[in-house]
This record gives sequence, C-alpha cells and structure tokens, in this order.
Amino acid sequence: MNRHGFSWLDIAVALAPENLLLLGIVAILAVEILAPKPRGALVVAFSALALATVAALVLWAGGVVAEPFPGEFTVEPGASLAKAVVLALTLPVLLLARDEFPQSGPFHVLLLSSLYGVCLMLSADSFLTLFLGLEMLSLPVYVLVLLAFRRPESLEAALKYLVLGGAATATFLLGVSLLYGGTGTMSLAAFTVALSVHDPMATAAVVLVLVAFFLKAAVVPFHAWAPDAYEGATVPVTAYMAVVVKAGVLLAVLRLFGEAPLPGPIVDLVAVLPLLSIVWGNLAAMRQKSFRRMIAYSSIAHAGYLFYALLGDGPGRYEAVVFYVVAYGLMNLLAFAALPRTADDAARDHLDRFRGMFHRNPFGATMLGIAMLSLAGIPPLPGFVAKFLIFKNVMAAGYTTYAVLGLVGSYLGIYFYLRVIQLMFMSPAEGPAEPRTAVRRAVGTCIVCLVPALLLALFPGAVIGRG
Amino acid sequence: MSDAAWLNVVLFLPVLGTALLLFVPATRESAIRTLTLVAMAAQLVVTGFLYAAFDPATPGLQFATRLPWIPAWGVTYTIGLDGYNVLLVLLTAFLGPLVVAGAFTAVRRDVKLFYCMVLLIQFAMMGAFVAQDLFLFYLFWEAMMIPMFVIIGIWGGERRIYATFKFVLYTAFGSILMLAAMIWLAWSLATPEGALSFAFTDLYQSRLPLSTQVLLLSAFGLSFAIKVPIVPLHTWLPDAHVEAPTAGSVILAGVLLKMGTYGFMKLGFPLFPDATMVLSPLLIALAVVSIVYGACLALVQDDIKKIIAYSSISHLGYVMLGLVCLDLVGVQGAVVQMVSHGLTAAGLFLMVGMIYERCHTRELAAYGGLAKVLPVYSLFFMLLTLASIGLPTTSGFTGEFMVLLGAGTAGWQQYSQGSSFLLASSAVAVTGVVLGAMYMLRFAQGFLFGGERVPHGPVLDLDLREKAILVAIVAAVFWLGLFPAEPLAKTELAAQEYRQLVTTSRLPGNAP
Repeated sequence: MNRHGFSWLDIAVALAPENLLLLGIVAILAVEILAPKPRGALVVAFSALALATVAALVLWAGGVVAEPFPGEFTVEPGASLAKAVVLALTLPVLLLARDEFPQSGPFHVLLLSSLYGVCLMLSADSFLTLFLGLEMLSLPVYVLVLLAFRRPESLEAALKYLVLGGAATATFLLGVSLLYGGTGTMSLAAFTVALSVHDPMATAAVVLVLVAFFLKAAVVPFHAWAPDAYEGATVPVTAYMAVVVKAGVLLAVLRLFGEAPLPGPIVDLVAVLPLLSIVWGNLAAMRQKSFRRMIAYSSIAHAGYLFYALLGDGPGRYEAVVFYVVAYGLMNLLAFAALPRTADDAARDHLDRFRGMFHRNPFGATMLGIAMLSLAGIPPLPGFVAKFLIFKNVMAAGYTTYAVLGLVGSYLGIYFYLRVIQLMFMSPAEGPAEPRTAVRRAVGTCIVCLVPALLLALFPGAVIGRG
Repeated sequence: MSDAAWLNVVLFLPVLGTALLLFVPATRESAIRTLTLVAMAAQLVVTGFLYAAFDPATPGLQFATRLPWIPAWGVTYTIGLDGYNVLLVLLTAFLGPLVVAGAFTAVRRDVKLFYCMVLLIQFAMMGAFVAQDLFLFYLFWEAMMIPMFVIIGIWGGERRIYATFKFVLYTAFGSILMLAAMIWLAWSLATPEGALSFAFTDLYQSRLPLSTQVLLLSAFGLSFAIKVPIVPLHTWLPDAHVEAPTAGSVILAGVLLKMGTYGFMKLGFPLFPDATMVLSPLLIALAVVSIVYGACLALVQDDIKKIIAYSSISHLGYVMLGLVCLDLVGVQGAVVQMVSHGLTAAGLFLMVGMIYERCHTRELAAYGGLAKVLPVYSLFFMLLTLASIGLPTTSGFTGEFMVLLGAGTAGWQQYSQGSSFLLASSAVAVTGVVLGAMYMLRFAQGFLFGGERVPHGPVLDLDLREKAILVAIVAAVFWLGLFPAEPLAKTELAAQEYRQLVTTSRLPGNAP
C-alpha cells in the first residue's frame, strides 16, 4: 500500500507537533480525572502547546522534508513554519482564558483538538486529509462557542455558526467530488490543474472549493455568521476564531493554490469578493456598538486583505500571508488581552464601556490603542508593513486598479479604529479606576503580544525576503 | 562621535525623552514638564551646532547616515541634511522648546500623555524632514497624524472630536493615494534583476511617460496639497486650528503645514518634472487663489484663531507660487517664507493662547484697547503682526518679496515668449500683500486699540516665561529679516538643484 516503506520513526519525528498536541489532550483528560486542580489543565495544555510550537520551529529550522503518509500528509519547511505560527498565536489565547471558564478541562481539550485539525490541514496533500483537518478545526469551535452558555446569544451564535459551517462543508465536498469526477484523483495537485483548464466542471469545482473557504474565512457575502458568532462567544474563543481559525484557513488556501498562476475569471473571483469584504467590513464596523461585533467586521475586512495576497505572484504569496497573519494575529490578541475584565460578559465589550478608559486603566487603554492603530495599518506599527507587503505584491503582479481600490477600502477602516481611541482617550471618565490586580493580570499577556510585534515593526528587514 | 551620528541624536532625542517620561509617575507634573523641556532644548542645541557646521558650498547630503533596513525591498534608513531641509530642521527644533514652555500653564489634564504626544510628533516631523528614503519618509509622514489626532482630540475646544476626525480623515485620504503611488513608482523602476530602491537620489533618475507622471504627481500632490493646504482642500484647517489647544495650533501652523510644501519641493515636483510643467498653470492658479481667497476669508472672521488660520492658507500660497515659478530667487524665497510663516504664525498662535488663558474667549469683538492694559503683550503682538504683514526688516518681508520678485521675473520671461499667464498671476498675488495688511491691521486695531474691553479682567501682563518665549520668536523673525544672507547661502545650492531637476525633462527616450 505504501510506496516508500513505513517508518514509525518518521511518524514520530515528522508528526512531532501533532503528536505533542495529542499527548497534551490525553494528559489533560488524565489530569482532570486523576488530580483535578484549578490550573492543572492550563499548565498541561500550555506546556503541550509550547512544546508543539518548538517542535514545529525545529522542523522548520532543520528543513525537515518527510512523507509519513505518502500522498496524504507531507512535512516540509513551509508547512512547519505555518504550523509554528498558528501554534504560537494560540499561546496568548490560553493566557487569555486563564479564569474564563469554571471548568477549564473541556476548553483546553477542544482547543488542542481544533489545533490538531489546523496542523493536519497545513500538511495535507490530498483533499481527504484537508477535509479531515478542516472539520477537526471547525467542530470543536462550534462547541467552544457554546461553552459561554452564560449568555442566551451564545446558543444562537453557535447554531448559526454550525449551520453555515455545515453549508461550507457541503460546498467543499461537492467541489471536491466534481474535481474527483474530472480528474480521478484526490490529490491537492488536481486543484492547480483544474485552475489552468477551461472546463466548466473544473471551474465549477474550483469555485465551489473557493466558496467553502470564503465561508470559513468570512468573506462577503458569506460573512453573516461571523458577527453573531464572535459576539456570542467568550473573549478567548472570539480571539481564537478571529486569529487562529482565520490564519489556519488562509494558510490552507495558500497550500491549495501553491504558486499556481491565476486564470482570468478566477482573478475576478479572488479580487472582487475580497474587495467587497474590505469595503463592507470596514463600513459596517463603523456602526457597531459591541467591541466583538466590531472586531468581527474588522476581521471580515482583514480576510479581504489576506485573500488579496493570492493576486500576487506565486513566490511572494506565502511570505505575505505569513507576515500578515502574524502581525494581524498579534495585534488582535493584544486588543483582546487589554480588554477590561468585568463580571458581566455582555457589558464588557459594549463600546460605551470604553469611555474614559484611559483614566481608569491607562495601561489597558494604551495597549488597546496600539492594537487599533496597527489593525488600521498606520505606520510604524507592524500592520502597516504587512499591508504594504500584500498590496506591493498585488501591484507588482500588475493588478494596479484592484490594489488602489483595496487601499481606498482600507482607508474606510481608519474611522472606526480611531473611534475606539476617541472613546478611550477623549471621552470623560465614568466610574472608578479599575482594580490594580485586574490590570496587572493583563500585563503579561499584553507584553507577550506586544514585544514580538514591536520587533517586527522595527526590524521587518530581518524576516522579509529571507525565505 | 562622528558628525553624522549627531543628526541621529537630534532625531532620536524626543524618543529618548518619551521613553524616560514613561518612568515618571503621572502625578509629578513639574518633573514631566522639565524633562520634556530639557529634551527639546538639547535637541535645539545639537541642531544649532549642526546648522552652524552645515557647509553651504557642499552639494548633496551632509551628516548622512545610510543603513540597510529592509534589504529585500531596497529600503534604507537614510537621513541627512541638505539645503532643502536644513532651515526647516532648525525651525522644527527651534519651535520645540517654545511649544513645551508655552503649554506649561495651559495644559493641566493628562500632562504626561500630552508631553509624550508632543515629543512623538516632534520625532515624526523631524524624521519626515531628514528622511532621504521614500519609505522612511512615508512612515514619518503618516506617524505625524496620530499624535496630532490625540492632541486635538483630548486638549481641544468644544468641537474637538469633529475637528480631529476631519483632520485625520483628510490627511489619511491623501496618504493612502500617496502610498499607492509610492508602491507603483518603486516597483515600476525595479531593475530587470528585481533590485529596488526608495532612495530619493535614485528616484530622481526615473524616466516615466507623461501620462504616468501626471497620475503619480496627482496622487503625491493631493496628499501634499491637503497638508499645505491649498484651496479647495483647506476646509479641515480652520476647524483643526480653532479647536486645537495652543500647542497643537503652534505645531500645525509652525511645522506641520510646511510638510506639504516641503513634500512638493523635495518629492512632488522633482520626481515628476514633465508633469509639473504640464500642470504648472493649474498649480499657479491654485496658489494665487489660495493667496487671495485665504486673505479674503481672514478679513471677515470674528474668531481670532480663524484669522490666523486663514492667513496661513494665504501665506503658504506664496510658498507654492515661489516653488512653481521656478525662478531661483522665487524658490529661495519660498524656503524663507516657509520658515518665516512658521515663526510668525507660531508666535501669533502662542499669543492668542496667552490671551485665551486670561480671558477665555476667542471672539475678536470681545476685546479692545489691550495696548493700555497689557503694554508688553501689545508690543510683541504688534511686532508679530507687522512681521506677518511683511514689513521690511522682518522675515515676512524677505520671504514674500523674494517670492514675488521671482514670480515677476519668471513672469516677464514668459511674457517675452508670448505667455502672460504667470505675469498676470503674480500681479494678482501682489494684492495678497495688501489684503494681508488689511486683515492683520483690522485684527490688531480691534484687539489693541479702541475702547478698553477685557473679558474676565483685570488681567496680568506677560510673565517671565511668556516674555522669554516671545523674545526668542521675535529675535528669530528679525534675524531672518535683517541677515538673510547666511540662511540663503545654505539653501542656494539646493534651490539650483531643484530648478535643474524640475526643468530637465525626464520622459523615456530623451537622452540623459
């Protein structure tokens, strides 16, 4: 059955990040049963995740290329780096979730399972593995949204997310079956072949698969679930969806497209819908009263920028997406980490509660301000270089009009990001200063997000153009 | 330390100041003020030495630092002084301590945040002037926006939120188009091997077809024209000036507006010379409209801050006229006019702030006869008013006179070649001088003379701190008015280079 022989060592080493996640899941279950401690699950999950990140980094740095399951699952440096990025971005999410759940065991198990799915996806060679990964990524998230069942909206949000996620799955499978019917293979390479042929069935398959990913990444007009799901979930879960899920999906799309050139009709599809996403996401975000809904629309716009990266020439796409995902992810996480903590989860993210925050919690307000400026793409913060990288690629590939329209669309976003700053800094203070302990708790997580982001902003030259 | 390192010191002193401020508790306000003032004063001292050491006979960059920054894109950290920016750098450093000292009594809320923002905007403005790489320039250019957003938005007047968003949304719109143009420019000039460069000197070698040049100049120009501002893109300025706290107005009028004209001089026109030639009638017309329209609007304002705001539009119209007429005297006059306006407008805004702190109104009609009540204040006010009008021996005269002389000379030349447009435009621009005298004297007359009206009186005359600030400004105004030879010598080579760049066609196919 296997062409290259089957080596357990290969599986142990090449799948080290995945294996460590699996080990973490088992260990959490064991700890929960044998020695339940308030922070036990967190410690285990954090260690497993950190080790998995290190493992992925080592695989990347070592340039390990392996095929533990030929035709299904490959490990190569690009995939390893993508995994490392996604895993590392989840670390702050765990810190965010420290006291969010009375019983943290289920949360951590679900989170690690979902990450396992992401890792599968990023190494997938066939549509089967990709599908497996995509579903393993999504199913735990539906439950994670429900975990916040303290609020009635959560149920609605989870259901909406589930139904639309199901629709995405169906669309994806239909696309894959068309591809299989046309080519007789489940290999991912069939997708790039289908891109280049002018056959109605191949085009339909490509469009269906792409639409499924648009749904997962919340690109207009497939975005309607995002604001509700983001609002209904608790803060760490929202952060996970906005950062890690989005990053995973986009990196998977990148794996699918590889460096293949885009044919004309597909260009319009991957340019027009993301452009609409940028414009609509930024416009709709202006009217939101809830922080998480606003971030949802902001993430819809950011999905637009990320899909724009596909317009660039093949070799530059990977770098652009990875850089963007890191800059965007860190800053989104910083924003969530700096959110003031209150007992009432629904009131916590009402934008009116941000009024005068600078006087109650100067550190949190400053961090949130930095995050907003970076998300708006204002230099010298890392969001600017990330955006520059994408639009530069789009322009260098010759799509000047799309690039200019996209930039003008990004201009629309400036208002609502700055409005948060206005509320925090320029409105009179209401209420007493926040307790010092609550502020101090956020400091660690904020620093974890801020320091790498600042390094990225100061020395972008150290990573850009280095592979 | 090498000479070049000192320019980096000048650039990064405000950052160092900000970093130190973070460790000072927010309640220790006097320590915060002192620390900021020391940082700014140190910057001024070092800048003064650099200015003195700047050699007028050496073309090109002096005190240059060139370090790779993003090698894959050919982006470098290149800074340096040349004839274009040397006076503006000096102006920025000179106004820094005055802004800080001027806000000692005016700003009482969130003092720490305020001085952090003042230091950061100082850093960004200084950076935009000394940057010699387009990417770096853009970073500083955009970075200026946020501190000013915060300064107007927190410490501004009643309609501060509206004004500050208007300022940001105008500025950012220009910037986004400039960003698009910048990316396009750099990547269209990439060598076949894919090597890129954002260095100004490399971009000056570009050869682009006329239609492209016009498009790119429009994108860059829109961004610069909003900052200047040129009529009809000026509507953010009165709001921003009126609502901004004194320090914000001083920074805006003193330095920020010069970014626009500096951008035209350093980037817009020399990068796209053929487009500049094609668009020059439009640019001249807009400059003259700005001069006359700004002056007419200043003539009818009831708010004293608005009078100075509109006068800024008029005064910067002269700078644009001087830059577009391409006469050597005119170009140098434009540079002097930039500095002169920076001094007089900053001084007038500071004086308005001083009276506002005492009387709490900006209504011109509420005041009268201040000359009797506040003699020292009135003396300084009169001096700055006359400098703003352009009385000989003050800096205003040097600037406006040289611009009009240059425009007139170029106008005669064009007239002899059969085109009377520039000559007619210069003639119209001269009326701006008359209008300038009218609105400033109307202002001074209502303010200083007539029946005594002092809201919230009795008030005290200037204290020592305020006198020191004004003495410094007035001294600078007279220095530039009486001894313009030295600063002019330092800008002369740059003015020649500018003229050379803009008048040499760089369409593809022409022999270099």
